[in-house]
Amino acid sequence: MSTKAGLRAGDGAKDGGASPLSKSLYNLSIQQPSSSSSMSRADTTSDICPVCKSSRYLNPNMQFLLNPECYHKMCESCVDRIFSHGPAPCPIAGCRRTLRKVKFRKITFEDLKVEREVDIRKRVARVLNKQLSDFETLRDYNDYLETAEEVTWNLILGVDVEATNRKLQLWEDSQKAERNPNAVKRSFQADSSTTSDGSHGVVLKKGGTQRKAMASSSGNTPDPSASLDEAFLETGFAFKGLKKYVPPPPEKPFDPYGGWSVKPQLYTLRGDYDVEWLTKVKDDPSHVAGGYDMHEFYSRALCEAFGGLGVFIDEEIPARENQSSGNAVIGTQTAAAAATGAKDVNMDDVF
Amino acid sequence: MQLTEDNIYRSSSQFRNWSFTPAKLAAQRQTTNIQASERVKAAFARQRAQRARQPDTASASESERGNGSGIDTGSNTPIPVTNPADVNCLTVAEEMKLVDSFCERTLELGKFLKFPIEVTATAIQFLRRFYLVNSPMTYEPQTISRSTMYLSTKVECHHRPAADYAAMLTKTTPESVIAPEYLIVQGLRFTFDVKHPFRGLKGGHLELMEMARGNAAPTPHNTQTPAELQKAMQALPKKAGEPPSHLSAADLEKRITHAYTLASDTLKSVALLTDAYFLYTPSQIWLAAHLLADEPLTAFYLSTKIPTSSPMYPKLLSRLNACAELLSSHRKFASQGTSEEEKKAREERDKKEVSALMKKLKQCRDPDKLDLVKLNQAQKRDALNADGQLEESKAKRRKMDRDALKKEEGDFWGPELPSRNGEKA
Ligand SMILES: [Zn+2]
Ligand SMILES: [Zn+2]
Repeated sequence: MSTKAGLRAGDGAKDGGASPLSKSLYNLSIQQPSSSSSMSRADTTSDICPVCKSSRYLNPNMQFLLNPECYHKMCESCVDRIFSHGPAPCPIAGCRRTLRKVKFRKITFEDLKVEREVDIRKRVARVLNKQLSDFETLRDYNDYLETAEEVTWNLILGVDVEATNRKLQLWEDSQKAERNPNAVKRSFQADSSTTSDGSHGVVLKKGGTQRKAMASSSGNTPDPSASLDEAFLETGFAFKGLKKYVPPPPEKPFDPYGGWSVKPQLYTLRGDYDVEWLTKVKDDPSHVAGGYDMHEFYSRALCEAFGGLGVFIDEEIPARENQSSGNAVIGTQTAAAAATGAKDVNMDDVF
Repeated sequence: MQLTEDNIYRSSSQFRNWSFTPAKLAAQRQTTNIQASERVKAAFARQRAQRARQPDTASASESERGNGSGIDTGSNTPIPVTNPADVNCLTVAEEMKLVDSFCERTLELGKFLKFPIEVTATAIQFLRRFYLVNSPMTYEPQTISRSTMYLSTKVECHHRPAADYAAMLTKTTPESVIAPEYLIVQGLRFTFDVKHPFRGLKGGHLELMEMARGNAAPTPHNTQTPAELQKAMQALPKKAGEPPSHLSAADLEKRITHAYTLASDTLKSVALLTDAYFLYTPSQIWLAAHLLADEPLTAFYLSTKIPTSSPMYPKLLSRLNACAELLSSHRKFASQGTSEEEKKAREERDKKEVSALMKKLKQCRDPDKLDLVKLNQAQKRDALNADGQLEESKAKRRKMDRDALKKEEGDFWGPELPSRNGEKA
């Protein structure tokens, strides 16, 4: 890798490329060998599987995986070997956590601490996902961000992990209940039907949680202290100045005509018409089978029968032209003037 | 937000682009005629000047052109180069006469090809619309009429491939059918919808039949009960001014059906051949045709829709009468008065007039637009030159590109993608 980069940069220099980029590349390639000794040592440690001790040097296709349960990495073949037959304890000495194969994934960051922090931040951001517009004041929003950061660092540093996780879970549930009460209710009902009679109380309690969650978010603004503490127990967090969630209004059914309808003036459509030349068509199964409705024909025929009956062209057309005079007249005049040349009438000559 | 039937019609392209007052229609034809005449004269002047400069080559190319175009475009005879001042251009009336006669021929063509009447009717209206903005002197009606028919088969869901369509006609190739297509579409201003009165007539017939059976649907203006309407209908006189008759229900239905048949015939022939589509709306046209077929019945039907006391009624009736007059004034209108011989003589006279006009047209055709097929080909991207070959430089570049592409196909990453400006990156 490093040799290749050096070669390229060297080429650039040979070309006489005096551009700053090629120069800096060239410098880089020169400096690289001096630090290579330390680099190679780091490489050897990171390229050896801590479980089976095989190294990438011998097996260039080796892939490392990790499990977000304990963030210990191991090679792909070790994962296959150890976890193919179901959950097993982590093979790294002193860990002993139970891992599952499905949870293993490729490593994104070389530094596994970063990998773990990114995961934690992702999770917290998914649950604590408020925006500035959700708060009454900027101050409230900043307080909220402060809390979110505190939760994140608690998890990263392993302080109060249990309590923090529970709080996050409570908050997530309460948010879900608020956003989509139907879905939550349905899932709870399904629970009660599957479990026995004893769980009935649980269902009731959860229903209560839901109601209180609504109440707390609605009564958030005017009188905080008392209700905030109470809400704290139910929802995990209580944020000052959080606006009440207003569900979006239900969507109206789609109207392809945009609110317009046809109101015939001169006729009323009957359900059926009986004429000799129609009976054949009416009884023809090949018409009916395709979904053709005779009613469509009636409405179209009658609409065409009277559409434009009251439109007097000799009056309306001049009136329309007077109305749109001014620019339009000048426009057509210039067009006509242009057309009197070699051009065709009123339009370009295609040929 | 509610729409009436009239609002719907006002939104149609037929009303917006193809409806005219009689004066406007005449003015439009006049402008078209003047412009086309100017063009023809200018083209002749140019040709004459060219010929004066190089007499030998010009005459050679002249005869070559006559033989070269294998398709019948009326250009098989070499055009004598006349003094532009002497060119005898068609007048507006002569142009109209020609177009009318080609409308009739299109009608017969439709019958010959056994196309549905909608196809023929649309083709005729396309032809009439096209010749409002173009002159027969510029574009030959024979070619154009065949092309409008082809276009109409597409518009009216009766499509035939161009090759099949051309095979049904004599002296026609698919190329000659397709060549003027874009020209026509442009002349139609890209409006393809022609609103015909046929379906409207059927709708009216449906209502009349139900009315005759005593179950008329109520309308806002009408206070009579269905039974009263039926009675009044049975008492209608046979002709205007005659004493009232007393028809049985069955006879009344027969009368209505008879009127429908007559009106339908009128709509399918005469109405197509006149300017009715430009001057009136489809519902006015069918009612006018119905008026010609059975006046008392139509007047009665109209009075059930619009009260005779309202100012609308006489206004509408006057338009209907004017339209009926326009329809009945056509030569083809089979009125009872004329005898067979007279009809024959009239047809003969008409034929003579048209053939004289065709001769005259040959003398004043725009020489630039004789071979539409060639013009169309020149328009295309891979324009062929006189020998039917691609231009040499173009062909050479194509070949080089092709070779390069073949060579690069073996590359691991495939051939290079062409850059936006068409050159290799
Ligand atoms: Zn391993
Ligand atoms: Zn572990």
